[in-house]
Amino acid sequence: MNSVIFPRGRLLLWGGGLALAIALPLLFKSGFMVSLLCQMGIMVVFALSYNMLLGQTGLLSFGHAVYYGLGAFITMHTLNLIGKDGSPLLVALLPLVGGLAGMLAGVVLGYVTTKKAGTTFAMISLGIGELVAACALMFPGFFGGEGGVSGNRVIGKESFLGFTWGPQVEMYGLIVLWAFLATVAMFALTQTPLGRMANAVRDNPERAEFVGYDTQRVRYLMLILSGLFAGIAGGLTALNYEIVTAETLNAHTSGVVLLMTFVGGIGFFYGPIIGAILITVMQIVIGGLTHAWLLYFGLFFLFMVLMAPGGIASLIAVQHKLWQAGLLGRMLPHYLATALPTLVLLAGLVGLIEMGYALLAGEGVGAGDTATKVMGMEMQLNAPGPWAAALGVAALGLALTRWIGGRTRVAWNATLSTLHGDKA
Amino acid sequence: MNSPAIRVSGLKKNFGASEIIRGVDLDIQRGERHAIIGPNGAGKSTLFHLISARLPVTAGAIELKGENVVGLKPFEIARRGLSRSFQITNIFHNLSVFENLRCAVLWSLGYRYSFWQRLSGLKDARQRAEAVMEEIGLSRRRDTPAGILSYAEQRALEIGITIASGADVILLDEPTAGMSNTETEEAVAMIRRVTEGKTLVMVEHDMGVVFGLADRISVLVYGQIIATDAPAAIRCNAAVQEAYLGTSLHSGIAS
Repeated sequence: MNSVIFPRGRLLLWGGGLALAIALPLLFKSGFMVSLLCQMGIMVVFALSYNMLLGQTGLLSFGHAVYYGLGAFITMHTLNLIGKDGSPLLVALLPLVGGLAGMLAGVVLGYVTTKKAGTTFAMISLGIGELVAACALMFPGFFGGEGGVSGNRVIGKESFLGFTWGPQVEMYGLIVLWAFLATVAMFALTQTPLGRMANAVRDNPERAEFVGYDTQRVRYLMLILSGLFAGIAGGLTALNYEIVTAETLNAHTSGVVLLMTFVGGIGFFYGPIIGAILITVMQIVIGGLTHAWLLYFGLFFLFMVLMAPGGIASLIAVQHKLWQAGLLGRMLPHYLATALPTLVLLAGLVGLIEMGYALLAGEGVGAGDTATKVMGMEMQLNAPGPWAAALGVAALGLALTRWIGGRTRVAWNATLSTLHGDKA
Repeated sequence: MNSPAIRVSGLKKNFGASEIIRGVDLDIQRGERHAIIGPNGAGKSTLFHLISARLPVTAGAIELKGENVVGLKPFEIARRGLSRSFQITNIFHNLSVFENLRCAVLWSLGYRYSFWQRLSGLKDARQRAEAVMEEIGLSRRRDTPAGILSYAEQRALEIGITIASGADVILLDEPTAGMSNTETEEAVAMIRRVTEGKTLVMVEHDMGVVFGLADRISVLVYGQIIATDAPAAIRCNAAVQEAYLGTSLHSGIAS
């Protein structure tokens, strides 16, 4: 055991992460990039808070957006309440108000949801999520109805240390600050008695009871703390977009955070960070490129669940182990060899999907139009040419992927057995 | 302090219409090693489940060190100093051996639901977990996830988790089930070592283990205790021999 409070490797990793987060907007100055980075930072906090339940306590929630959304609404109302008399310092502290709101929501709603674990918890969380989402439409006074509640984050006459939070890049700085603090706090929590007992309750609730722990209490406390961090993320989103709609607390948002966390990897603390960044990029970048992005999103999720159920973090962890054992070099050529046919397969599939989508959903020209633009290319979709080409590429990619992928699998299994053989 | 460690009186348990425990009276004295034996389906494990509150009692009373514990939850009974193991290994599979044991000591050391203390800073929890790990002979498996330990190692960890909290009343449910002879011998020596000065109640099928460890033996047949006595007396008890149809117990004792 190391008695050092912060081991050097960990300090380096955290410092590096923070430095990268600060450096990114200096490298990518475009408004689009800064907005993207802001959304990433918010989602990182949200996904990490979700994994306090899913990965750490074993609670599958379908209603986590409730805490996020309520945090966002309360923050927005507080911002509007402060109004002109406020100062940028108060605005900077507002995510904490969102956090407290999320926590309070956790105290009230969590009392009901955490009575039970497993499927019952999942179902009750779904029910509560729907309930709160329905309330959002029933009480337009508070939730702002269809239009939502908007506000202005630039208030007060003077700046705070030169910050007014008006420019997007200043808002990004505020998000990085809060995201970093929240991430450190959430990591610290995993290293406490409650954090460890949450793992114990996840693995074996019965035994946890027999070593003296009230599993219901452990789940309840974890949910309250998770609500706190989800609320902070909600507060940040309110300040960032200066508008909060009912969308923030509905089932779709709950679903997205589940996907992010799962794709990133629930078994590792940093998994949700990766998932949040990746899915945000996919949403915004791919969403900007094609109208069929939800389809890609779904296919990607399906692929991950089937091929890498431990998420991206588990893939990284395996590579790390191989590297430590000096075996990564043996696998790298195989990875590269598999990447090429996979790209061919992907190109073919994307072509088919885009053409199909253009034909059925009508990319800007109305459904059923056959002469249209697909990926910047003019195409006659009633002619067999483009279809045959895309189908051919996909078939070729599939054949190559199967052939080379098979050889990679053999190499992979051999390497894994060497790895485990070395260990035993 | 004169009250027995465990006093069970008129205990009944029904599952639907079938009566599994049909009026059990049993006193376990403080500091004794008590074995409960009986044919399969006699209700031995059910009796343990009732005492440890894993199952709700249908009727009757259970006192732990003079206090009524019927209706309490498992964690409340654990906090009153009763700890139990399970027939089917019941550990924290994804946590390391060390983490399993540390989880088992946290409550007894008063750390409760703390989220403001660093685990690695809790010296007493670490030392206690390490001491137990040493006692059960798993020190070299410290960082191995419990789920990939060998069967005998998992059984040892099962007992380790049970004794880690320092509870003074220990219930072991078939601690040597499924072990080889050598493993059983080691397990018996280990159980003897770690339950020194404590009250031990165990369910066991291996008569060698029972007669080697127990100060007193109770025989449970069809939900009732037909005899409670010292091992020598149990050996000669006619009712007990009849219950075992003169076979398994007899041959077990003879060997």
